[in-house]
Parts: sequence; structure tokens; C-alpha cells
Amino acid sequence: MESATHRLQGDIMAASAAAEEGGVGGGFSDDAAGRGSREQVRNRENRREIIMSSFWEQLFFQILLLLVFCRHINTKTIGPTPPPLVSISSILPTDIRSVVLKGESQTENVELVNPVNLTLECTWTGNQNKLPNITGFWRKDGDEVENSRLTVQLENDQYNLKRVFSIVSVKNLGNYSCMFESEAKINFVLAAPHMGEVRDKPIVSYVGDSVVIACKMEETKPKPSTWNWYKANGTDKEQIFTAAEPLRYEIKNDERKTKLVVYNLTEADGGLYYCGAVYSINTTMGLVELKVINFKEPLKPFIAIVIEVIVLVAAILFYERYQSKKNYTAGKEMNDQTNTLTQGENNKPEEGSSMRQRKV
Amino acid sequence: MSPAPAAELDYKPPDGGWGWVVVFGAHISIGFAYSTPKVLSIYFKEIQEDLGAGSSDMAWISSIMLAVMYAGGPVSTVLVNRFGSRPIVILGGLMCGFSMVAASFGSSLLQLYFCIGVIAGFGLSLNLNASLTIISKYFLARRPLANGLSMAGSPVFVCILAPANEYLLQKFGWRGSLLILGGLMLNCCVAGALMRPVILPRKPSTCALQKNMEEQPNTCNTKLKGSCMNNAKKFLDWSFFKDRGFIIYLIGNVLFIFGAYAPFVFLSAYAITQGIDEYSAAYLLSITGFVDMFVRPGTGLIANNKWVRPRIQYFFSFAMIFNGTCHLLCPLSKSYAFLVTYAVFFGMSFGMVFALIFECLMDLMGNQRFPSAVGLVTIIECFPMLLGPPAGGLLVDIFGEYKYLFLMSGSVIVIGGLFLFFMNICNYYMLERKKPAEDREQNQNNTENPDQSTSDEEMKAAMEQTEPRAKEKNGAQRDSCPDNAETPN
Repeated sequence: MESATHRLQGDIMAASAAAEEGGVGGGFSDDAAGRGSREQVRNRENRREIIMSSFWEQLFFQILLLLVFCRHINTKTIGPTPPPLVSISSILPTDIRSVVLKGESQTENVELVNPVNLTLECTWTGNQNKLPNITGFWRKDGDEVENSRLTVQLENDQYNLKRVFSIVSVKNLGNYSCMFESEAKINFVLAAPHMGEVRDKPIVSYVGDSVVIACKMEETKPKPSTWNWYKANGTDKEQIFTAAEPLRYEIKNDERKTKLVVYNLTEADGGLYYCGAVYSINTTMGLVELKVINFKEPLKPFIAIVIEVIVLVAAILFYERYQSKKNYTAGKEMNDQTNTLTQGENNKPEEGSSMRQRKV
Repeated sequence: MSPAPAAELDYKPPDGGWGWVVVFGAHISIGFAYSTPKVLSIYFKEIQEDLGAGSSDMAWISSIMLAVMYAGGPVSTVLVNRFGSRPIVILGGLMCGFSMVAASFGSSLLQLYFCIGVIAGFGLSLNLNASLTIISKYFLARRPLANGLSMAGSPVFVCILAPANEYLLQKFGWRGSLLILGGLMLNCCVAGALMRPVILPRKPSTCALQKNMEEQPNTCNTKLKGSCMNNAKKFLDWSFFKDRGFIIYLIGNVLFIFGAYAPFVFLSAYAITQGIDEYSAAYLLSITGFVDMFVRPGTGLIANNKWVRPRIQYFFSFAMIFNGTCHLLCPLSKSYAFLVTYAVFFGMSFGMVFALIFECLMDLMGNQRFPSAVGLVTIIECFPMLLGPPAGGLLVDIFGEYKYLFLMSGSVIVIGGLFLFFMNICNYYMLERKKPAEDREQNQNNTENPDQSTSDEEMKAAMEQTEPRAKEKNGAQRDSCPDNAETPN
């Protein structure tokens, strides 16, 4: 916008400079002075008219350009916080949470799905000395909420503190506390629904294999509008888009369950994966760890066990053969002994008979 | 009091020595057989997510494995009779190992059903039958103790494999874990190698041959070969159904098995409905297993006692009634302490029954008929085992509470126990009445066949026996060293 006006101004300047030069140039020639001077005057008159009309045109164009281009400028004026919400809050639904304090402090978990105008109400029965007036104030994430300090009166033997909070985005979620004179405190933890059953042990899978990583939101919690999957990259999370790499990732969403299928695993695929349950107010994350190992890892203990089995079986069978050989030789010796004994017995009568025969 | 039984064996079992090593081998083998279907369930959740199956589909893996393990009994019997225990246990171990390794590469549910369910199940059935048979061959006087010690393998291996499987799952995922579990099951081959065939004692003068005599029908002499091969080839010996003792045992056992497993399956769910947290509920089953581990050998020791041994069938029925009563009293428990007490007594009674379950069958059938009998019993027990837990589940679905499940289990088991008790009384009474007639027959036979009677007398003197037996079986089923009959000295 500014460059266009500068250019226009430049052109007009050049045109007026050219016109002046022409006029000065024209003044030096005397020869055709009579005729030339009348023409020159006429020319000069014409140029001035051109210059004057172009000046108005320039102004007109500048104003036009300003109107066209500068409509998009936002002027930020720093005003008082917060801006009045009356017009927006009429669209949001309302909800109320009230807690009666028993004891010194208490915590209440509030699950929110959509933006809401949330009324938080605290009731305290007081301590021994029930003062008629005490101060109560609100805190968000440890910092005191502006203009929240009130004087609370004792009604029906109770102190009551109530405030409406507009919960629109993730910035409004957090830990809200109502404080009664720094003595009693009720915490309201505002958050989107968390996944209860989160797998704490890593999923182990192998290179070249495919794996299914699943996340589930319980039936008792509200269902998310959709699910997203993220892979951790250092401290950041990168969202996984199946359209970008359809051969590697597949996401199957089913209201309360989601499954991420990773095909053709590589060692780089190992790491932390986050499943995000998307609600209008916020996305809650669940963490699953994936470990990808090489097939050789379980193979080593397996081969060790097989070797042990073979060694033991061979040892047992060899020991048995050795023992049976010992028994065999021992048995054979015994048999030989008994045989020689019987033979000896047989020989003696034979000799006797031979002797008898010889005698005869 | 059971009457004095007749001679059954034609050799004196070692009752010790290498027998205890065999008991250790049988402990490992039976341990894997009974514990593997139970501990595999640890992997189911992971496999379910990876293969996209439902949880009932995964439960089928265990059911198929148990069913095949029990149904493979008769086939296993034939193989054991033909080849002896050692090669069969080694073969069973190899089958289990390789099937688990194959399953670790599986990419569909059908592959898992086939590898883990059918092949590993069949391997385990070979292991089970062969281990029980070899115990009956090595022990007679101390057989209840040997049985108790070897059956204790089941709870011991459950206690070892359950945390080991969890650790493997976390470290290697389900595929690596199945691979390593297959390797561990190969240790059944080591157990098989330990199961040396029984060396029959021989008189020194008769044993010119220096090879080990094994109970293999292929070493039978030609006269007996025909009947030996016939026995080996029969898958199911229907003549068992004429044996009154066998029928009584079978009916009692069927009733027991029908009610026995349902409480295991539903105990933690029941505890959770009583308001107990998940970990304490799972702890109850560990308590049961732990108590079981010590009760089984203890029961074997008690059953070995000279007062209890002749009355072992009554002891068995008492254990069954005890188990059933525990289940009947379970719904009365209102707090965790009561449930723990129930778990302890459940473990005790379950251990007692299982320590005696095969001992009683050995007692009834004798060593020769035991392998065929156990095959027949396991295949018939397959049906109540598969029907029991789903029937319990059906009761839970219909009535909405678990107490009817325990009442059903308890009452069925108590009926089984009472049936066994009273029918055994009748059976022994009738056998006592028949015994004088049999003795008279025996004396007549003695005058006709001096050889056979002298060997019979020797055998009777050598052993203490506990069951009544039919005399005719002896001649046909004796597959001993043929020299004995041929060369009396």
C-alpha cells in the first residue's frame, strides 16, 4: 500500500521534473524564439494543467488506496481485564458444583467436556470460634483471582462462598481453590476426562512385524469426539497422519477405543506413543511405550536351553551305557567263575574214572 | 477291609534306587503336562491384541490343549505298550518343543489352535501317560509316595512358570516368550532320558544273554507273541467295562472332574464380587497352588502307611467328600479371611484327591492293565472336564450370582465321593464272598501245573498286594523273560 503511493508520487514527481526540464530547455533556444516562445508558453500552460490534475488524481488515489488496504488493520487497545462476558456467556451452558467441607481441606475432581459457565460453591461449617464475618477468596493454580476477595457472613451456622467461572479453553482449566481465611480450603481440579486403564508395561515387538497399540476410555466417562495419535520426538509430540504414510500406519477409531497399527516395524519405531482423546475443551493424553527388538534376542536363551538339553540327555545316556557295561563285565566274570567251578567239579570225577580205567 | 489280592507282577519292582530318579523325571514331565494349559493364559491378552481375536477365542486354545491331552490317552497307551516309556516321553517333549516354536511364528488364530492346541496337547498326553506307566513299573510298596511326589509337579510348575512367563512376556513379548517356553519344554526329553526301562531281575544261571530285558512285547517268545501283539494293537480295551471296580472308579471320577475345575476358573471373579480387590483375588489362587504343592507328597506318605494302604479307595473317597464340602461351605464366607481359609482347604483337598487319583487306578487295575486303563479313563474324563466350567458359567449367567456355582460343584463332588465310598464297600464285600471259591480253584490248578504254581508262590511271597485280581489274566499278559518258563532249575 505504501509502496504504491510512493510509486505514484515518484511518477508524478518525475513527470513534473520532466515538465520543468522541458520548460527550461525550451528557454535557451533563440532561433525559433518568436514562434517557439508562443508554443513554449502554450506547452508550459498545458504541463501545469497536467501537473495540477495529476496532483488531485494522486490525492484521490492515495485516499482510495488507504481505504482499501487499511481496513484490515487491527488497532489493539489495552483495556481493563476481563472484557465483559455478558454477550458470550449467554451461549454457554451452565453447571454447578458444590462441596461441603468436612475437615480442613478437600479435593473434588471435576470432569469437563465442553466449554461451560461453571459455578463453584463452597460451604464451610466453620471452626470453634464462629466469627460472624470472615474473608473468603478464590485461587487459580496458586495465584489469587482478582476481585474475588469477599466478606462472608455466617448464615445458618455456615459460611458460603460462590463464584461463576467461565471455562472456555484449556487455559481456564486447572486447580481452583476457595479459601476461607487461610484456614479451610476446597480444591476443585478442573480437567478433561482422563483414561483410567493406561498400560504401564511396554509393548514388545519385533523388527519386520506389525503391532497394534490400543487406548480405551472407560464406559463411565464421556466419549471423546475423536482420537489423535502422536509419536514422541525428543520432548515434542508429532501427530501421526495416516494419509501421509498409508503403508506404515493405520488408525482405527471406534468411539471409546482407538487402535494404531504400525506395519513393518523398524528399530526407529520404538519409543513413546501418545493417544489423545479429543474433547472440545481439551485433549487428554495416554502414554504407551513400544519396544522393538531384533529376533536374535530371544534366540540366544533358546539356543542355550537347547544345548543344555542335548548335553544332559547325552550325559544321561552315556552314564547309563557305562554303568551297564560295568554290570556286563562284572556279570560275565561271575558267570566265568561259576562255570570254571562247575567244570572243575566235572573234571575231577573224569580224572578219577580215567585213573580207575588206567588202573584196570 | 480289602481282601488279599492275588499275584499280578512277575518281577519285583525296584521300589527305590534309580526309581527315585525316575520319580524326578516324572515330576518334570507331569508338571509340564498339567501346568502348561493353565499358565498359557498369561499370554492371551497380548496375542488377542496383536491378532485381533476375542477373549473367548483365546480361551479355546487352553480348552483344545486340555481336550487333546486327555483324548490322546488311548493312542499314547498303545505307543507306550509298544515302545516303552522312555522313547515316548522323549517324543512328547520334542513335539511340545517344536510346536511352541512353530506357534511363536504364527500369524493367525488357526495356526495357534493347531500348534499349541493339537500338537502340543498330543505331546503332553504322551508325556502324561508314559510317566504314570513307568512309575507303576518301578514302584509297588512305595507307589503311593512315588505317585504323590510326581503329581506334585503340577502345582510346583504352575508356581514356577507363572512368574517366569510374566517376566518373559515383559522382556521378549509373546513371540519370544513362546519360543523360550518351547525350549523349556524340551527339558521333557531330559526327563524321558532319565526313565530307564526296568531291568528285570534274572537268576544268574538262566541269563546267558547279556542284554537288558525290557517290557516290550517284541521280546516275547513265539508262543506268547500272538496275544502280546493283540494287546498292544487294541486301542480301547472294552473288557475293562466288565470290571466292576473300574466302572465304580470311572463314575466317581467323572462326577469329580465335572465339579472340580469350575471353582478354579471362577474363584477370583467371585472374590471380586465380594468386594475384594483384583490382586488379593488372584492371590487366592496362588495360595491354593502353594498348599497343593506340599499336600500331594504328604498324602502320598500317608497313603503309604500300612493301615491306610489296604483301604486306599476309602481314603480317596474321603478326600473327594472333603473337597466337595469345602465348595459347599464357600458361599458362607463373608470376608477375605474366610476366603483365604477356603482357599487353603480347597488346595488341601484338591491335592489329596489328585495325589490319589492315579494311585487308586493302579491299585485297581494292576501294573499290566494300568496303561490301557489310564488311556481309557482320560479319554472319558475329557467330556466332564470340558463341560464343567461352561456349565458353571451358565449357572452364573442364569442366577446372577456365584453361590449356585459352588453349590453345584460341591454337591456333584460329594455325590461322587459318597458313591465311591459305598460302592467300594459293596465291591469288596462281593469280592470277599467270591474269594474262597477262587482259592479252591487255585489249589486245583496247583496240582495240575507244578511249574506255574511254584512261580506263583514265589511271586506272592515276594510282594505285598492290595487288590483282587482274576487269575486267568496272569498267563496271557505275562511278557517276561522267556527263559524263566523254559528252563526251570
